[in-house]
Amino acid sequence: MNFVQDPALWYGVAGTCAAAVYVARSRITVRDLRERNRLLAEDVRMRDEEIDNVVRVLLPALIETGDRIRGSLLRHEQLRGTPYAQGIETVVGMFTTAIEDARDRADHSAKNALKAAMRTLQALAGEQQVAISDMQNNYVDAQLLQDLLAIDHMNSQFGRRAQVIAALCGGWTGRQRAAAPLYDVMRGAKGRIRDYLRVEIRMQSNVAVIGRAVEPVALAVAELLDNAASYSPPHTTVEINFQTVPNGVCVMVDDAGVGMHEEARQSAARFLGATEPVGITRLGHPPQFGFPVIGMLAAQYGFTVSVDTRSPYGGMRAVVMLPSELLTTAVDADPTPAAAPRRVARVSRASADVEPAAAVPAAASAPTGGAAALDGELPQRRRRAPRPVEHAQATAPTENPDRSDAETAGLMGAFLRGTRSGRVPETDDKGQESR
Amino acid sequence: MTDDPTAKSDAADLVRPYVITRGRGHPTRAGLDLVSLVIALPGDESPHILDPESTRLLALCRGGILSVAEVAGHLALPIGVVKVLLSDLMDTGLVATRRPIPAAELPKTQLLQEVLDGLARL
Repeated sequence: MNFVQDPALWYGVAGTCAAAVYVARSRITVRDLRERNRLLAEDVRMRDEEIDNVVRVLLPALIETGDRIRGSLLRHEQLRGTPYAQGIETVVGMFTTAIEDARDRADHSAKNALKAAMRTLQALAGEQQVAISDMQNNYVDAQLLQDLLAIDHMNSQFGRRAQVIAALCGGWTGRQRAAAPLYDVMRGAKGRIRDYLRVEIRMQSNVAVIGRAVEPVALAVAELLDNAASYSPPHTTVEINFQTVPNGVCVMVDDAGVGMHEEARQSAARFLGATEPVGITRLGHPPQFGFPVIGMLAAQYGFTVSVDTRSPYGGMRAVVMLPSELLTTAVDADPTPAAAPRRVARVSRASADVEPAAAVPAAASAPTGGAAALDGELPQRRRRAPRPVEHAQATAPTENPDRSDAETAGLMGAFLRGTRSGRVPETDDKGQESR
Repeated sequence: MTDDPTAKSDAADLVRPYVITRGRGHPTRAGLDLVSLVIALPGDESPHILDPESTRLLALCRGGILSVAEVAGHLALPIGVVKVLLSDLMDTGLVATRRPIPAAELPKTQLLQEVLDGLARL
């Protein structure tokens, strides 16, 4: 008898094996299920944390700053690429767009309102300046002039404030001007700040700024000067120097303040390098217009401004780089010949009208003019030689081409003195006498 | 540009008078008036750093004697501002001024009337 041949044994063995396999398999299954369960629980926890992150961190940050969120939106990178993560990105994206749209709309309407308001103020400041100029011209009393100069200065500052806000809102920077010498543009800028007496322009320059860029450059430099003067001790000077570089001219504004701390410097550099318009709602409280408007004007008119160097006096050095396209050496580079003859020419023209009558006795060789007048006809003016019209303004347009501007002026002076001495000389020291 | 009517006011309102005089309305010298005559003195201006306006003023006066009013007209500046500039130039010894030649003393109307009355009584 052999056990081996007993089928019951074989059934038993087979059964045992089957049971063992079953047990083993079910053990594996249980382990797998536990593992899956754990993973799923983990997944749910991560998703809960993600949604919590969105609600408590991301969206409040968006509302607070209004800036698009940089970096990852997810806390758990394992979720990247899942529909869940895509959903979160979509939600945050829509929220961001909605906030940006709302802010842009608010910004747009705020800018439009400010622009319109500033245009009115700018026009008023301009009118007031004309009125002040007229008063300065009409009255010779020194005390009155002193007061008018102070009012004029305040009006210029007022005009600049309006101009800055208008420029920042994409409005009018002021009217188009003729090209002006760089030195005058700097003096124009200097006159617009409160502490203008502390500003010293150390050198003169023979370049001029083209008409289109005069106001923007003056405005940007005025902001730099204002900044330099505000952040340096009251007894120190703010210096302006020019440096010719291969492709233009650099204007350097140095102050003797404490300089800017790193954060302010970075913020300034960001505004100065901005290529797109700055939102009016992002200027802080109270709003800081200076660097944003300088950056805008620079980008718009093609000059560059940097504030990343130190001045030799320990403060800040701002460098405005004016490229050759904005410069010219022509017209007003030297104001002496350009401006003086203009007035002389005008006076001479007036004197040219007077002269024929005065010259009649001298012109005895041609008595027909006087005779004709006696006959009741209109006197005829005779010219000895034809005279090109364009010379009338370039040179003194009198019948005596040898007479210089100064001589003409001298003649007019004699005429003026003659008429004055013919009158009763009582109005001399009244003080309020008009010109 | 010369014929542009805005050209003058254009330059004038870029550089305001208070910048030119550094805020001063009172000249350092008294006695300048509209008809005072301005004479440029021979001298070297190079040691002095002059504003463009002062340079122009000197250049104008080098051409001949002008009155304060004429200088102001040529420079297109207010009289008061020109007086301040002139005083500064006088202080640096670059210009001199002198009173105009006084008008001849005319007899008073009242005196003439008395003479006339006296003659009529004869």
